[in-house]
Amino acid sequence: MSNPQQTMSRRDFFKASGLVAAGAMGGPALLGGLKKARAAVPAPAWDSKFSACDICFNKCGLIARVEDGVVKKLDPNPKFLKSRGMLCARGNAGIAQVYDPDRLKHPLLRKGARGEGKWQRIPWDEALDMAAQKMEEVRKKHTPCGHLFSAGTDLHSQFVSRFAEVYGSFNVTSHESLCLVSGNRAFLDTYGEVPFADVLNSKYIIMAGANRFEALVTPDSMDLMTAIRDHGCKLVTLDPRYTKTAALSHEWHPIRPGTDMAFMLALAHVIISEKLYDPQWVAEKTYGIELLAEHLGPYTPGFAAEQCGIPAEDIARIARELAAAAPASMVYPGRRTSDYEDSTQIRRSFAIVNALLGNWDKPGGLLAARQVGLTGVPYDAPWYDENRDDRIDAHKVPMMFEHEGSFVVTRDAVLNDDPYPIRGWFVYKTNPMGTAPNRKKTIEMMNRMDFVTVVDIAMSDTAWMADLVLPSQSYLERTDPCSGLQGSVACACVVKRDPVIDPLYESRSLFDIIKGIAGRMELGEYFDFTIEEYRKQQTRDIPEALKVMDRDGVYYNPSKVYGIYDGRIYKTLSKKIELYNQRYLQMGLDPMPVYTEPARTPANQFRLVVGRDALTTQSSTANNSLLREFEPSNTLWLNTRAAEGLGIRDGEKVEVSSSVGRQELAAEVTDRIRPDTVYMLSGFNTLSSMQTRSHNNGASINELLEDDYDAVTGNAAMHTTFVTVTRKVA
Amino acid sequence: MAQQLAMVIDAAKCIDCKACVAACKVANDVPEDQFRNWIKPTQDVPAPGVLTARAKFQPGACMHCDNPTCVDACPTGATYKDPETGEVVIDDDLCIGCGNCIPACPYHARFRNAAKRKADKCNYCPERRAAGLPPACVDTCPTKARVFGDVNDPESEAGRLYRKNKGRLTRVAARTDTKPNMFYVGDPGDPTWGGEAVVPASMVAMKEAAPLVKGVVALSGLGVLAMLGRQFLAGNDSKEDRDG
Repeated sequence: MSNPQQTMSRRDFFKASGLVAAGAMGGPALLGGLKKARAAVPAPAWDSKFSACDICFNKCGLIARVEDGVVKKLDPNPKFLKSRGMLCARGNAGIAQVYDPDRLKHPLLRKGARGEGKWQRIPWDEALDMAAQKMEEVRKKHTPCGHLFSAGTDLHSQFVSRFAEVYGSFNVTSHESLCLVSGNRAFLDTYGEVPFADVLNSKYIIMAGANRFEALVTPDSMDLMTAIRDHGCKLVTLDPRYTKTAALSHEWHPIRPGTDMAFMLALAHVIISEKLYDPQWVAEKTYGIELLAEHLGPYTPGFAAEQCGIPAEDIARIARELAAAAPASMVYPGRRTSDYEDSTQIRRSFAIVNALLGNWDKPGGLLAARQVGLTGVPYDAPWYDENRDDRIDAHKVPMMFEHEGSFVVTRDAVLNDDPYPIRGWFVYKTNPMGTAPNRKKTIEMMNRMDFVTVVDIAMSDTAWMADLVLPSQSYLERTDPCSGLQGSVACACVVKRDPVIDPLYESRSLFDIIKGIAGRMELGEYFDFTIEEYRKQQTRDIPEALKVMDRDGVYYNPSKVYGIYDGRIYKTLSKKIELYNQRYLQMGLDPMPVYTEPARTPANQFRLVVGRDALTTQSSTANNSLLREFEPSNTLWLNTRAAEGLGIRDGEKVEVSSSVGRQELAAEVTDRIRPDTVYMLSGFNTLSSMQTRSHNNGASINELLEDDYDAVTGNAAMHTTFVTVTRKVA
Repeated sequence: MAQQLAMVIDAAKCIDCKACVAACKVANDVPEDQFRNWIKPTQDVPAPGVLTARAKFQPGACMHCDNPTCVDACPTGATYKDPETGEVVIDDDLCIGCGNCIPACPYHARFRNAAKRKADKCNYCPERRAAGLPPACVDTCPTKARVFGDVNDPESEAGRLYRKNKGRLTRVAARTDTKPNMFYVGDPGDPTWGGEAVVPASMVAMKEAAPLVKGVVALSGLGVLAMLGRQFLAGNDSKEDRDG
């Protein structure tokens, strides 16, 4: 034990003697009572205001601590069940985004060549006049569909869709065709809707193509830990990388990339051939079990073992364990599914195993969407006779989501004017230059445009290539519409955002910007309301919600969690869960997933895979000063043995080349990745020099990725690129 | 019984997401590339298949030790153990930034704050506690791996966890046993990284000469002025870089 008396005496002595440095340095007055150990520390003089995070798309509830109009700290809202009362590292770093000195401050008009980085500051009125005039010109010359609109995940993005529709263009793309549409398609075409995963109550979870402890921190991350630590849930992870999820799993199988379908079909094979499913449930609720049983014949554990590099006995054992824990067991549905040309069919195999487990609508299984209570705000868009018949990316793939589009297919179509020209582009809070594969092609696409307007808070690479850049407000500065959220079993809830600080610089909200442009194009009537009025419309069925949100930062709808489908039919052609999809057959697609072996990695090459960690939201966090402290740059994960073969040591600079691009970065020599696979984080090496932390820093994965796409949805296929890696001689 | 504010940590729950480190940086205005808290990573990659032991990430920070060698190393009494709360406190008014306490901590929990040029470390966020909030790292932790409170109070969550797991609480050992008040439930992950406390000889002598302490202190006061000079000379280059 320490001797408090002694330490106190030394302390007291200095307090009394005046030999204290603080005194010498002009610090605060020295002498409190000598006997008093320490003065009470006062509470901060801050106001606490509710908001919802925006550093990823999850909208975790937060409380902003505001002092003299400045946000000092973002804390989790403990009443926010969806995030289990937490705020992740990215959420905490939101403050660094809002106060980033690199933020856009006023409207900028391109002066030099596109992408040259020469800008002129112009007043808002001039900027809005110009945007409206250029959009009118494009519409006159190329019909309304000659203008493309793209918006990221944001509560104001619905106004971009509305703007596109009243302007007359069908061409709207979201970020989702660079992310999740394949998985959504697969589950929608099996169950009739996209499920949530009841991780919390599950006893056995297979995590494949997802990295839930690391890539995102959502209720599933927290619930997965609770399930493992407190409920005895078993976690089996398939990943070519030793991710943090793999590290915290009971089993980690470094599967050969692109072979997950073989694994899943083998699970189904074992479950059916050993009759490990509930025959009554499957007969009542599913369609096509006999066809599936026949189809699965060749997909034995032995077959899968050869494909996946996982022992056959492990595959068979996992199938039995999974089935034994059913219905409280699952193949985790995952989220980003932009990986292969058969991504939808890969995820269909995930969906089918879940169907055999009989876990739909049950504790520990897959859950249907709950009722949130918000309603849409309808409007009648004008009709333009002189318009095109369809989207520019229509009919290229059979099952595209019309409201999301396909960015990769759209880009090809724009480059070829196929079937018609697009010459204008309005972009809000999404950065295809930094998120779409094959960056050079996106630059070419930019060069096809007569006029590009980008609304964002930072000079993203997409903004960098634009003609007009308009500064938007951050999430802490603006008024947002309501948003309905569901967090698996946690809750069904509604959130909104109100400004917690005044807008910085000359920034305006997207809604105000669109209102300004639309008003100049005689489309003002479609935006003739305030966000407050819009929210009232949204909440007309739950009128108490707005007041409750003011009080708690969130409104909960105590709707049903399980048994939603009791007495209800599935929204599929057979009105059942479709093991066999008849619509696919009609469209010439495989009605059940047929495994095609992915291309073998050529000698001396590596498969480049995409991923994320808890400190990264693609390019939008690349310039975040706080997050960059944890990860100053990105590195190329290179297996130790592979590195030895190439004579590359840890930390050495390497050149990575694919068929479409070349980048340089430091190698991270590690056993945390298969010898045939390499990986790097996205968001780095931006072209924009107004992103000072990511410009000339690390490598751009988008520059390297080839632009294949999922044959069913048009989702980008970002795991099909092979690269060579060579030591960079200094 | 007096309080002992402490953390009871379930390392098995930590997902190494760094939320606690980010929250601490913002809450305490910690300068760039300096950190008051950490998560120790696991380095070894196991053989694939059934993993014999799941990885442990180990959250940590100043352990507010019962035998705080940093206190012994402090020439001015700026660092002391608060007898009422059990915290190891730095009184900024008294700290001269001499840096003696930095090698005196076997857990490398201390650094010289580059902006304030004074000793810095976890203080359990007293401003937040005054506002009725938990320390920033605890408040934000997604899996609630970090639990904070008075372990002597059986009603507090920390005290409840402390009692419930009494038989299997572990501490991170260091070559110098400072009796840390950072308790891990079961296996804390790597338990061996703690180092040796390096306390300047003059300070050790002072401690041993307890009956004469005041006289010694008076003499060492001259040394304090010298150390003050050293602080200005030391400048801004201190980089106590740590696992983040």
